[in-house]
Order: sequence, then C-alpha cells, then structure tokens
Amino acid sequence: MSRARSFRPFRQSPRLFEVRRADRSELWTEAVGAPPPVYGERWAESEGRYFRAFDPARSKLSAAIVRGWAGDLPSAGDRWLYLGAASGTTASHVADLVGPDGRVLAVEPSVRPFARLLLLAERWPSLLPILGDAREPRSYLPLVPLVDGLYSDVAQPDQVELVRQNAAFFLRGPGAPVLLALKTPSMGRDASAQGHLKRAEELLAPVLELEPSVRLDPFHRGHYFVGGRARPELFADALTGALSPRRGRSPGRRRP
Amino acid sequence: MGTVVVVARGTSIYLARDPPELPAAFPRGPDPDAAVLAQIDPGAVALPPDLVEAVRGLKSDDHLLAGDGALARALSRIGVRGIREATVAELRAVLPRLPLAPAAREREFALRVARAALERALNSPEEVLITLAREEERVERALGREDRAMASFLAAGSPALREYRDAWTETRDRLERHHGRLVALLERSARAVVPNLSTVVGEKAAARLVAAAGGVAPLGRMRSARLQLLGSRRRPSPERGPRYGLLYRAARMNDVPLGRRGAYARSLAALAAIAARADATTHREIGPMLVARRDRRVEALRRGRP
Repeated sequence: MSRARSFRPFRQSPRLFEVRRADRSELWTEAVGAPPPVYGERWAESEGRYFRAFDPARSKLSAAIVRGWAGDLPSAGDRWLYLGAASGTTASHVADLVGPDGRVLAVEPSVRPFARLLLLAERWPSLLPILGDAREPRSYLPLVPLVDGLYSDVAQPDQVELVRQNAAFFLRGPGAPVLLALKTPSMGRDASAQGHLKRAEELLAPVLELEPSVRLDPFHRGHYFVGGRARPELFADALTGALSPRRGRSPGRRRP
Repeated sequence: MGTVVVVARGTSIYLARDPPELPAAFPRGPDPDAAVLAQIDPGAVALPPDLVEAVRGLKSDDHLLAGDGALARALSRIGVRGIREATVAELRAVLPRLPLAPAAREREFALRVARAALERALNSPEEVLITLAREEERVERALGREDRAMASFLAAGSPALREYRDAWTETRDRLERHHGRLVALLERSARAVVPNLSTVVGEKAAARLVAAAGGVAPLGRMRSARLQLLGSRRRPSPERGPRYGLLYRAARMNDVPLGRRGAYARSLAALAAIAARADATTHREIGPMLVARRDRRVEALRRGRP
C-alpha cells in the first residue's frame, strides 16, 4: 500500500495526516496498535507504520478538524482525560494522536460500551479505560494524575457543567486545552441549537479562552465543537463548587 | 497550623502537607489485589495501619482534609474528627507534588481496576437478566425466521431435498430446545430480580422491559405512559401513535378483544409501573394484589363498555 507515502502531517500534529485526493482530502492518524480495525475503519501500512482513516462522519473530533477547528489538538506525548468514551471510536484516535508515550484516560459509565472499550484498551497501549461517572470526578481521582488536556463527548443535559468541574480537578494548569463536542439535542427543548451553543459559550467564557466554535453539520446534526485554553480563573474555588441541580429528566445512568 | 491532605493515587495513599513538603506514601493494601479492591469498593479494604498511626500522630492544630468522600468516611470511622472533603483548590495545592507512577505500572493498575470493576458490574443479577433478555430475543427471532423459511420451502418429489429438509428440521428442533432452556433460565432470573413485575406482566415481558430501560432502577423511575410505549417502533404522534410496545406480548393481552388492547395496555402499564417501583425500592410483595386488579380489568374489557 504505497498510498501512505503521500501522507503529509497536518498542522503541528505529528501523528495526524492529511491525504489529498482528486476531489477531497482525508484525515488519517498513525495507529498505536495493530490491526484488526477498531470499528471497521480503513487501514494502510507503510514501512512498518500503520495508519487509520479518521472519518468525520464517525467522529466529532475529525468532523471539527474538517470544518476548520483552529484550536489545540491532542499532540504526541500528552496525557488527556477523555469523558464519555463509549466503546472507543474517537478515543482510539485520540490515543493515536498522543502516541505511545502519551496517555488517554477514558471515562465511561455504561457497562456494555465499557466492556468493548476495555477489550480495545488491552491492545491499544496509550488508552486506559475507567469505569466511572463524569459527574463524580472524585471517584476516579486516584486513577487520574494531572492532565495536559480534556476532551468531552458526553450527551447529557449538564455536559457543560461537568466539563468545567472535571477541568478544574484535573487540568495541569492555565493554558491547557479543553475540547467539548457539544450535543445540543441532549440539552432540552427549551432553546434552539444556536441558543444552547450561546449558553454553553457564556458558561465557559469566564474560565476558557474560547476559540471560535465550529458547527459539525452535516456530519453530526445539532452538534458543535467548543473549546479553548484554560484561564487561571478556572481553578478558583468560587467557580468549582457543587454542580447545579440537574434539570428535567433524570439521567438514568447507572453507577458502577 | 497547617493543612494535611489525605489522597489516594494508584496503589498508594498519600499524606501531603501544605505548605510544601514531600508527601508520605502508604500502600493502599497489603498486595496489589487489595489496592484494586480498595479502588472499586472503598469500604471493603481497611486503611493501612501505618497511615492510621501517622494520622493519629498529627498535631492537634493540623487541619485534616480528604481527597474524596470514601477516604473521609473511612477516616471518621476510625475516630478522626472534623475531617471533610478537600476543595478543588486545596487538592490542587498537593496534587502536582504526588509522584507519578512509571507508565507501565500505571497502565497495569488501571487495567486491573477496569477488569475488576467490569466483572463486578456484569456479575450482578440485574445485568445477567439484561443479557439473558437480549439473548432470548435474538434466539426467538432466529427461530421465527427458520419457521417461516421452512413453511415456504418446497421439497415434494425430490428425495435429495426431502433428506435436506429432515436434516434442517433436526437443526431447527435443536435450536428450539436451546431456546426452551434459555427461557427457563430467563424466567428464573426474572422472578428473582423483578418478582412483582414478573407476576403482573409475565417473566419474559418483565425481562424485556428491564433490558429496554437499562436496569431495574431506571424502570422504577419511569412513568406508566413511557413504560406503555417502551419498545414500540412507531413514532409517537397526536393522531395515531403507538398504543403498546413490549407490553403487546405481556400477560393476558390475547384475552382482550382486538379493539380494546390499547386500553388494556394503558391499564397494564399503570400496574407494571407500580410493580417496577416496588421491585426497585421497597421489595415488598404486591404482585397478587396487582394481578387481581389486572384480571378485573380484563373481565371488564371483555364484557364491553357498560
């Protein structure tokens, strides 16, 4: 497969590649594990290195890059906390990006997706699974050292609060990036998608230096990619008290 | 006076003092297995004795804080007074000074915790019931498919095809026996996990409801209107939405005249919601009482409108 030779590194990320085809360009990540594919994605091999297609239709992170996300991305050697890893589709690519010397600590509360995540982690050296609820950061405090970045893809009404709480606990300090794949349909019917985005940005603006948000349509309907670098205010106690009471339907998540 | 933070990290518990001082480490248990257990079930492992000693030896004006609620509870259980959870800022004052485990050891510990936590979560009777319910649904579908295929298979006249059909029948019968054993297992499991719901709607429907809701607790929180439509395929709409989902296969649905089944589903959902609530919370036996109400309703619907 000589295709890999036309790979060129994307921006500053040494493990993310852009492949230009006649009509479009594709994103690929250099795999830290070996085949078989994690979720049916395409693989390529070149000089003993493996690459995996990073499909914007499957992953919100990929869609964000395709739609022009200008903020930070996970880079080689980093330690990232990943909330809402599910069975590890995007988490495996984040683990690719941080490379064999980095770490992705992937938190997932539901048992069945977690079983698949664990199977993947056993053969994916930079991925560490944690069965836990992102609403209770203290429950996984013993497993998570300070991290270089936080990625969240939690489809829950309180996803923004939850990101702020986890960021205050675990980010290494001001300047560390926070990336949030915001799912507005999970946030209630009391506002439009743009309304929810605006609310989320207002909540995050005091604690993050926000990058321009990116709309993920048509790859992921009703989703936005929001994030930026932590401000020192994020770590002040006044902002990191108890979570606000949950709104609406009870989340119905089981704790481990 | 200073603050001292007790915080667990990996296989150790650290006693970290602010203003800065190198944190003292105490192994979380006598062996790695105990440290894994301490992480997934904090109440199950006693605090390390030398940590207890060190905590008792603190000066009286030292302010003791715990990294998480489990540690705070464990320390107050051994008689430490006035301990509370550290705030984020208090925690962050000591977290950067905790030593990092070597990457291989960190990974090893995290994977062992993950395996143990998953095993524990999947071994609960509730998760076994959910797995059995999904499996039974799959096998039942497979059996139905075989039966339909067999009914439309033409073998008359050809000895080779007849022989093939006999072999096929044997395979199908084996699948049916497998299904029967699976159903027996499922019914036993459902009677143990959701006894009241099983009595009201039948074991199979009860198991499927639990699986669709994702557990007994979520099902217990559900309103009857939602429970009635659980598992329905049609889109809810004000004109002609679905009237039943999984409940269509519930007890005594076939005794109700066709036009009244929506009404029966509504009543049955109300009773099932009560039963599920009892199974999730009080664990009291209310099945027979609900069955009596259910059967009265069936009789009323059979007699027709008064």
